[in-house]
Amino acid sequence: MVKTNRDSLLEVALIGEITHSAVAPSYTTGWDQRPRIGLGQGGIVYNVKVGDPCFGWEMGEKVEPGASADGVGDEREKGAFRNLSCVGNRIKVVGGEAKGEWGTVVGKVGYIHGGGHHVVTHFDDETLEKLAIGDKAQIKAHGTGLRLIDYPNVRVISCSPRLVEAMGLKEKANKIVVPVTKVVPAIYVGQGHGGSPAEANNWEIQTQSPDAIAHVKGLRFGDIVMLDDILSAWGRGYFEDAVTVGVVSCGPSDSLGQGIGVTTLLTCREGEIIAKVDPEANLKSLLGLGGGDR
Amino acid sequence: MIETNKDRLLTIAVQGEIVSPASAGYRVQWDGQSKMALGMGGIKYNLKVGDPCFGWASGDHVEPGVTIRGKEKADPSECALAMLACIGNEAVVVSGDAKGERGAFTGRHAGADDMVWFPDDALEKLAIGDKVQVRAVGVGLKIKGFEDVRVNKCSPRLLESLGIEVEGGKLVVPVVKEIPGFLMGSGIGWSTVLEPVDYDIQTTDPKAIKKYGLETLRLGDIVCLRDQLCTSGRGYYKGAVTIGVVVHGASDYSGHGPGVNPILSTKDERIATRIDQGANIAYYLGLRKRP
Repeated sequence: MVKTNRDSLLEVALIGEITHSAVAPSYTTGWDQRPRIGLGQGGIVYNVKVGDPCFGWEMGEKVEPGASADGVGDEREKGAFRNLSCVGNRIKVVGGEAKGEWGTVVGKVGYIHGGGHHVVTHFDDETLEKLAIGDKAQIKAHGTGLRLIDYPNVRVISCSPRLVEAMGLKEKANKIVVPVTKVVPAIYVGQGHGGSPAEANNWEIQTQSPDAIAHVKGLRFGDIVMLDDILSAWGRGYFEDAVTVGVVSCGPSDSLGQGIGVTTLLTCREGEIIAKVDPEANLKSLLGLGGGDR
Repeated sequence: MIETNKDRLLTIAVQGEIVSPASAGYRVQWDGQSKMALGMGGIKYNLKVGDPCFGWASGDHVEPGVTIRGKEKADPSECALAMLACIGNEAVVVSGDAKGERGAFTGRHAGADDMVWFPDDALEKLAIGDKVQVRAVGVGLKIKGFEDVRVNKCSPRLLESLGIEVEGGKLVVPVVKEIPGFLMGSGIGWSTVLEPVDYDIQTTDPKAIKKYGLETLRLGDIVCLRDQLCTSGRGYYKGAVTIGVVVHGASDYSGHGPGVNPILSTKDERIATRIDQGANIAYYLGLRKRP
């Protein structure tokens, strides 16, 4: 077992609410100059869950599985919800008909240029039926400050101790071996460069060029993936030999430079992390989440 | 020599004001150190197109010449100046001590800043807050026989001065450097509108700077971005070619670096390049003598 400092982490409450579905006010122009209406961002998506395929949803644009929440209050308070929540944290509905039901944080999506921020959550079908847009939900945030004690050059970002312990990390010749479903080369990595911090904003795997689509067409929501030559510490960008490991948190896009969302979990600059391809490296099995049987 | 539809283009006045530099304190660099940066906004007396992108003390995203912004809407990126002004358009000061002085539009830095070149004697008379008007012409510009090539933010004057030749059904464009697509960073994917947004050649990885010789880049350089398509928005497309103008300087923020305004783009093998160290708008627009 990889040693962590989990006993010194603070566990704090963050309050947010279930968002509306986010749809652009006019047609969006795709990479091919054709107009589209995209749906599936934000709000409650009843029939897409962690474990389901990213591709194949009609007119889907950056589809977020399950229910999406954002912080409430002023910008600093919203910032706490977006920055401090960690994948694998538990979230409890604290208002409305679903009050008292628990779910799990499965990703975070943040668009750089004035766009929305969503913490993506998984609830079971029964809870989703009772959930309403605007319902308040509280996260027991646990993970900010998490370190792998013997690997000081690896940064852990937005990753709960629960997830880091479930990911099946192994140690080999002073490197961390991480099971991932796919390794993605930097050339396919688009929006996210330059955006800071990695805690609140996601990476996107570009899904317009046919070769890029072919490379990632089998991805599922919740997949653990590796972005090669990508660094997510103190800002985000291309660095030869750097690695970012993240979780697939939203679906593909038809807009140039945009696509499948990846929420950062681990990053390093000099190859301290290596990948082991494992088709089972998905939050559904790692965290024991129901649904997603498509 | 290429032919264009320049006699069908509307010429329209757009206006901005010289803005003050702004500072919000320290910002974190790629290496975790912090920086108090300067070089964005306002009047830069000793920085012009043709100068190096790197090497300015505490500089970050340095913008050559004078920085102006449209003011008729709350977001400068939605103003007519941001959408319609094209590189090489004529600019004229319309208020203050420098009223009547003439310069040239040299590019747009996404987010907020439009940049204009003025000669030194005009810079001495300019004040922050002065109004600058640009004769915007270039939106809708097309190259005859290459109507499928996207032209953006490029005046007829600049397009005709680029030294483009036609060979084997391709436009051959002189550029100072070829940039691999995976180095394109901040700005990629932002919005699906091309005109008001630049995007950055990442110059934070010391290994990449060395490997691709990025430290010689200059403000105003014409560069080729490989596997990058800039039609509606900016992003990766295998085999695509984008030609762009370097509009601002290097950066120490992860994922950032010299910004590029795309001026020509195709995914269909319609553009080839030829390396020419003199491919810079400062020379093409007569803003600086060739060395």
